[in-house]
Amino acid sequence: MAKQKLSGAEIVVEELKTEGAEVAFGIPGGALLDLYDVLYKEEAIRHILMRHEQCAAHAADGYARVSGKAGVCIATSGPGATNLVTGLANANMDSSPVVALTGQVPTSVIGSNAFQESSTFTITMPITKHNFLVKRTEDLPKVIHNAFYIANTGRKGVVLVDLPTDILAGEAKVDLHPKETFAGYKPNIKPNQVQIKRVVETLANAERPLILAGGGVISADAAVELRHLADFLGAPVVTTLMGKGAIPENHPFCLGMAGMHGQLYANRAINECDALLALGTRFSDRTTGWQLDQFAPDATLIHVDIDTAEINKNMQVDIPIVGDVKLALSGILKLLEKKRAKKSGSEWEKRIKKMHSACDSCVEEISREGASVSDILIKEISRILDDDAIVTTEVGQCQMFAAHYYMTKKPRTFISSGGLGTMGFGFPAAIGAKIAAPDKQVVDIAGDGSFLMTCQDMATCVENDIPVVVCLFDNRYLGMVRQFQELFFDKKYAQTGLGITPDFVKLAEAFGCYGERVEKPEDLKDALNNAFKSGKPAVLDMIVGKEDKVLPMIPPGGSITRMIGTERCKRI
Amino acid sequence: MQAHIISLLVENNPGVLTRMSGMFTQRGINITSLTVSPCEKEGLSRMTVAIEGSESELEMVRKQLSNLIEVVKVVDLKESEAIIRDLCLLKVHAKDSEARSEVMQLAESYGAKILDAVLDSVTLELTEEPKKIDRFVDLMRHFGVKQLFRTGVTAIGIGAGTGVGVEK
Repeated sequence: MAKQKLSGAEIVVEELKTEGAEVAFGIPGGALLDLYDVLYKEEAIRHILMRHEQCAAHAADGYARVSGKAGVCIATSGPGATNLVTGLANANMDSSPVVALTGQVPTSVIGSNAFQESSTFTITMPITKHNFLVKRTEDLPKVIHNAFYIANTGRKGVVLVDLPTDILAGEAKVDLHPKETFAGYKPNIKPNQVQIKRVVETLANAERPLILAGGGVISADAAVELRHLADFLGAPVVTTLMGKGAIPENHPFCLGMAGMHGQLYANRAINECDALLALGTRFSDRTTGWQLDQFAPDATLIHVDIDTAEINKNMQVDIPIVGDVKLALSGILKLLEKKRAKKSGSEWEKRIKKMHSACDSCVEEISREGASVSDILIKEISRILDDDAIVTTEVGQCQMFAAHYYMTKKPRTFISSGGLGTMGFGFPAAIGAKIAAPDKQVVDIAGDGSFLMTCQDMATCVENDIPVVVCLFDNRYLGMVRQFQELFFDKKYAQTGLGITPDFVKLAEAFGCYGERVEKPEDLKDALNNAFKSGKPAVLDMIVGKEDKVLPMIPPGGSITRMIGTERCKRI
Repeated sequence: MQAHIISLLVENNPGVLTRMSGMFTQRGINITSLTVSPCEKEGLSRMTVAIEGSESELEMVRKQLSNLIEVVKVVDLKESEAIIRDLCLLKVHAKDSEARSEVMQLAESYGAKILDAVLDSVTLELTEEPKKIDRFVDLMRHFGVKQLFRTGVTAIGIGAGTGVGVEK
């Protein structure tokens, strides 16, 4: 194809289209006038005008996690870019593919403290997988393509492209749609066959195998392979927070989430197993507890991860495999099927079935055994929503109630801020999720503390007809920190009481959303129905116990073998 | 704590130095010396980074460095398998002719070049292994070191190979 003469802004938009970007979440600004001038005419890219750049990044992140495609967010120079930072750090920590475009002052004045100048390139360096500061218009085709390529390959992540105004306004004769060329980036995805053989050997001989599924399983779209392997091995599956949905949580082999706020028996299984196959997880302290010698002490540890740097970082493992989880699982299954027949009826399997039903009945019977209102509400939400509904969460108690009691049935339907723990994430992420999956129910499980951090984007929902439902756990506390103060700081509630909070129903209505107060758990079903029926974005202000606690839990610094607050758990 | 030398082949792009050094900063690892220069391949630069840290810290930082998009190759150079050099320029005080000749004699025995000499000082250059330079500088302190400049280490693997490392 002959070279075309285009402006920088036109090149950016052309390349976005080539990369399959159908939607961008952003806010324009002085440095982005040229880009928005091109977007104005462009019909192939839907632009959602957000009300805060942090929300633009979270929405792109939510979109990416639900669709599996890179999400795009746009912010102007200076404050626009610095407002993106939290959202980008959040996406990058959770290996979510996001491409961020930021405006920048003209190259001639970079470094002079020009109006709305910030050094976006250096600010975002440690919180992105990679970033670019574009200095020549003719570099744009390659840079935009490489940005998507880097975001989407290997361990996925955030790539930011900083675009000075003169680069966007300038013209260049370019070849569009170049191929990527890197001197040093070769994302390693093919697992080593020798290591696979070692894994198969270990798993075939294990009496009590266990699979720990992390976010990498979902990111690699390997849920089907995971189920096959679990079924074939007779191995139970526990997940991390990011791995929720990798296997249906009502599957008889699924013991739910492990770790600090996980299920008692998920943690017990880690204690008891003799081979642990960890897939696409980084062994975060939220999963392992803090006394690593007590994490799976009797097990041969197998770790499959696409990122070499995760191997032996937090846990010393016996057999590492660097590569794509899906490829590794297919490789393992293929060899294993040749090696031996499907195992069933083992002692371990019987034990797992008991554990599964203990957890399940604990969750089922919760409303009868002195459970908190919060516990019951999550169970209700879990019962009422469609199997393929998408749940996003804010951060704190609401998140851990959801992680513990919400029954996730499909991959990419439980969207939560795992690594960074960003309050305010859930609502804008729900916006992105709803754009990615307009036909599915999208519910943000929120706390009043978190929701107040990003609730201004109700305006975005109303304006763009994005009917997400916020189920607000209203306890007028920063609940998780309050819980820690109650348990570990003699109930001294330093700065965790929110005092007089807004009337969330009226707040919702003021934005043009549907609002309803839910005083009792039994009213939730009708309220949710009303919300969905309204066709509007909605806020359900659910009054919960002010001092509800998420239990059981591993106390900070503790071991995975010692959870506190297990009184309600069934003994087996 | 142990001294390590990491040799990096990186794309010669603006910001690559910040990106690389940020990796060490984030892990709280102090860089004791750093050299950057062009290399045999156009568009690439070689960085030699000397750090102090434990074996496990080194392994982690090595992997994380090789994860950087612009890093082409990371080599962990072991002292026994590398030729390591540092260049030192120093101005030594020489209070009289006796001191001056003593300084010059000692310099000669270390293989240092005499670059300049004036009535009360001598300027010397020594390219050597860092430890030998340390010894030489300590010796010169006896006369009084007015100024000391060191380039920091650069290192190359011995033999035909490129040392133990991670080729991406």
